[in-house]
Amino acid sequence: MRLLPLTILFMTFLSACASDNLVKSEKKELWGIFKNITNKSISESTVIRQSSAFPHTKKWLKNFNQPIILTSSVDKKNQATLIALGNNEERLTWVSSDGISLSYDRGVLIATRGYSQDLLSLKYEKPKKIFSSNNLQYNKIHRYLNGENRYDELKFECTGNKMAPRSIEIVQYSLLVDRYVETCINNYHRYKNEYDLLHGTTVVVSSKQWISPVNSYFLTYNLYAFQKF
Amino acid sequence: MSFLRCLVILCLIILSFNLVLTESVKATEFEDTASLNMYGMPGEIDLPSAKNLPDGQFSISSSAFGGTIKVNLSFQILENLTGAFRYARIPGGRYNGYTWDRSFDLHYLLYREKSSFPAIAIGLRDFIGTGIYTGEYFVASKSFGSKLNVSAGIGWGRLAGKNSFNNFFGSSTRKGLDVGKGGTFHFGHFFTGDNSPFFSVTYKVNEKLQFISELSSDSYDWETASSKGFTRRSDINLGVKYIVDPTFTVMATWMHGDTLGLTVNMGINPRNSPYYSGTEPAPMPILQRKYRSKEIKLEQKIIAESQRLLNLDGIELKTMTLFGSKVEVGIINRKYFNVSQMIGRAVRILSHTTPANIEEFKINIIDFKSNLFVSKIVIKREDFAESELKFNGPEELWATVSISNSENSFFYADETSNDRLSWSLYPYLDTSLFDPDDPIRLTVGAELLAQYKFIPSTFISSSLRQPIAGTLDDIQRDPKGGLPNVRSDFMYYHRDISNSLFINNLTLDQYFKPSPNFYALVNIGFLELMYAGVRTEIIWKNNKRPYGFGLDIARVQKRDTDGRFKLKNERFSTYLASIYYDLHNDWIIKVDGGKYLAGDFGSTISIKRTFNNGWEFGAYATFTDVPFNTWGEGSFDKGLTIKAPINWFTGKKSRSYASTTIKPITGDGGAKLHLSKEKYLYDKVSEYSKKNILDNWGRVFR
Repeated sequence: MRLLPLTILFMTFLSACASDNLVKSEKKELWGIFKNITNKSISESTVIRQSSAFPHTKKWLKNFNQPIILTSSVDKKNQATLIALGNNEERLTWVSSDGISLSYDRGVLIATRGYSQDLLSLKYEKPKKIFSSNNLQYNKIHRYLNGENRYDELKFECTGNKMAPRSIEIVQYSLLVDRYVETCINNYHRYKNEYDLLHGTTVVVSSKQWISPVNSYFLTYNLYAFQKF
Repeated sequence: MSFLRCLVILCLIILSFNLVLTESVKATEFEDTASLNMYGMPGEIDLPSAKNLPDGQFSISSSAFGGTIKVNLSFQILENLTGAFRYARIPGGRYNGYTWDRSFDLHYLLYREKSSFPAIAIGLRDFIGTGIYTGEYFVASKSFGSKLNVSAGIGWGRLAGKNSFNNFFGSSTRKGLDVGKGGTFHFGHFFTGDNSPFFSVTYKVNEKLQFISELSSDSYDWETASSKGFTRRSDINLGVKYIVDPTFTVMATWMHGDTLGLTVNMGINPRNSPYYSGTEPAPMPILQRKYRSKEIKLEQKIIAESQRLLNLDGIELKTMTLFGSKVEVGIINRKYFNVSQMIGRAVRILSHTTPANIEEFKINIIDFKSNLFVSKIVIKREDFAESELKFNGPEELWATVSISNSENSFFYADETSNDRLSWSLYPYLDTSLFDPDDPIRLTVGAELLAQYKFIPSTFISSSLRQPIAGTLDDIQRDPKGGLPNVRSDFMYYHRDISNSLFINNLTLDQYFKPSPNFYALVNIGFLELMYAGVRTEIIWKNNKRPYGFGLDIARVQKRDTDGRFKLKNERFSTYLASIYYDLHNDWIIKVDGGKYLAGDFGSTISIKRTFNNGWEFGAYATFTDVPFNTWGEGSFDKGLTIKAPINWFTGKKSRSYASTTIKPITGDGGAKLHLSKEKYLYDKVSEYSKKNILDNWGRVFR
């Protein structure tokens, strides 16, 4: 007889429903918490995207009929193509199909959204000034939101150095670039951003930039420079 | 000499609460379960040490040895103040040879360790309750290198059971504790009687492993006198702590040379969100004026597009009016726990969908359940665009935003709408804790919730429950005496309902909004499992102010214990006036005063620590003109409240949360009606207050 209440209870869980889709999805999320805990995946990053051969080809790039950038983890296992949806002064915001956005000011990453520990905003020198200088010293402040929606700010002292020109290949194009290396240090963190500038200009073609202590670095390829419409 | 003792205690209390004089101890980690002892408080094995836990840490721990089982809930209330609630099974007593006991502790870190000076803490164990564990202490802790930590302290009460000497405060006699019905403060006993020294040494082998040795002054008189307890052969306790990770620690102990013990500590810190700023999708970016569409669109098309995009973001657009350079919208927030983030998302979408000539957005927020217009936020389009990617963007935008109560009353839905009926069928869980016969009783079943809107301000709402399995109908205790049984006879309802379908509530709900700052609600019908009648709540809340006022009046009749439609011939009335104050920091205070269900007059003081991400930890106590002895076991009504937002665990946008009230004793004094959460107005309105929005304004561009 004890089986009967258990069966009814099980049926209740199975048949649980609501007229409001939102109530349904939230109840499902509640159940998802327990699943997460049992799978021990609660702290895992949810940012997993398309993975394909790298670097991409000209043929692949022709598939896109609007400007794109390509972002990638440093190990190049996770990649995403993003399209420009925002344009605010000189700052462009690029959005991926799964809801990640990256904002750049002339190649310098100034904000991320959807990355868990997002770069909320950045206090920085004007990109044109730093990319046209050598051995320049300046300060940067990275702003994040902590778990209580308060600001956590990381202040860095940075030094920028322009390296000798070198040749790189992007989507089967060979380019001469000036590498600009920015080294930033504070008491707890140290990072080194690398920007490949089109030789003799301040135009960023590709970069490796640090987002946050949790997300660390990722790569950006400004492929729109190679697109034809 | 007793004057000297009082003076010293007074000085210590002043010192403890004078934050200027005390060192602020900044916790570097969010969780630290290795610093918890068997009481769930900062310490080693059984003894306290001069440590604190990371601010905000909530810990659940359980320990067992020699017939004693303790379950502790502890919370780092302030940076230096730790509090704990404990439920313990203690050998010796009338429940199968055991006593079940509730107790509360406080621990305050007075001074932080310096290179040449130890940390110092003061603590009160079981300062409210039956006093079985009652004891007070001063303890000092000093580390020597990175591996060795030594603590030495002096204890009173239970901590002066062995190796005691005369009280250096003067009062060498500690009066026998007249626990009465329990639940009262033991002011007269603090730091009285003999005192004993205690010591502990911890050696950290590595980051994971610690060896501990203690010289304990606790004589364990209760436990050793019982056949269910143990024999105290030595003053020494030995232990090994294994730190699985900062949130989980296991400790094995050899207690007093006689028995093995095991302790498990778990901790969580609301400040340490596993998803940081969240993983919800990025918001729609802003387009600069020159890139905005110049295409002239029909108003209907603008509304449809806005509705579609807002809906994708979990925001329901209910009204939209374009006039001149302004747009006024009425929206319902269905997805965002964080109102500031929701506002930011709404403005971004409106910036995208409305014509280029629109300069200002007036956003009226509608409460989903009641259709009440609650708050109005006015944001200038260009200010938002200019601030979007600036370093200090949120601060600059805040200076231009205006927030007030909405002048509108109710959202009047389209008459042809077929959304008037909403329902859900989900399992429910009902619990009853701290019954010595069975400390955890629960029933699970199915609950059908339904609501039908006649007109925007008038609803019928109901909850039908079908218990399926559980033990709530086995409660053997009887109601308390001395007062009319307005609450303590709750077991009759569970017994009589047993496995039958019952009406949990069925009410006609009428909302009113006579002016922008006044809100009212009348409920008529079966208000809750035990009462039917009429209840009215009126609140005044100006969203620009951190405070509000409320009045809750009810005339009720007891329902029959079968949970159906019959009523008993027992009538009661209650009226309570309330003051709410949202303090500048993270604390919210509520004070109720008036007449409670049993006819007693008194006041309830509630205080809760809130975290911007939605977590809340609170406590309340009700004192009425009912003498403690008449009130019965527990002496007065008190409880702890916890609220946890679901999005904290998932990183996704969601307004749902789990909440619970831990109430040690159910009595008849200070009893209130138990209505469902959505039938209280203040939280509906204050959610959209200026302070709540400001506290989370950093998320406006998230």
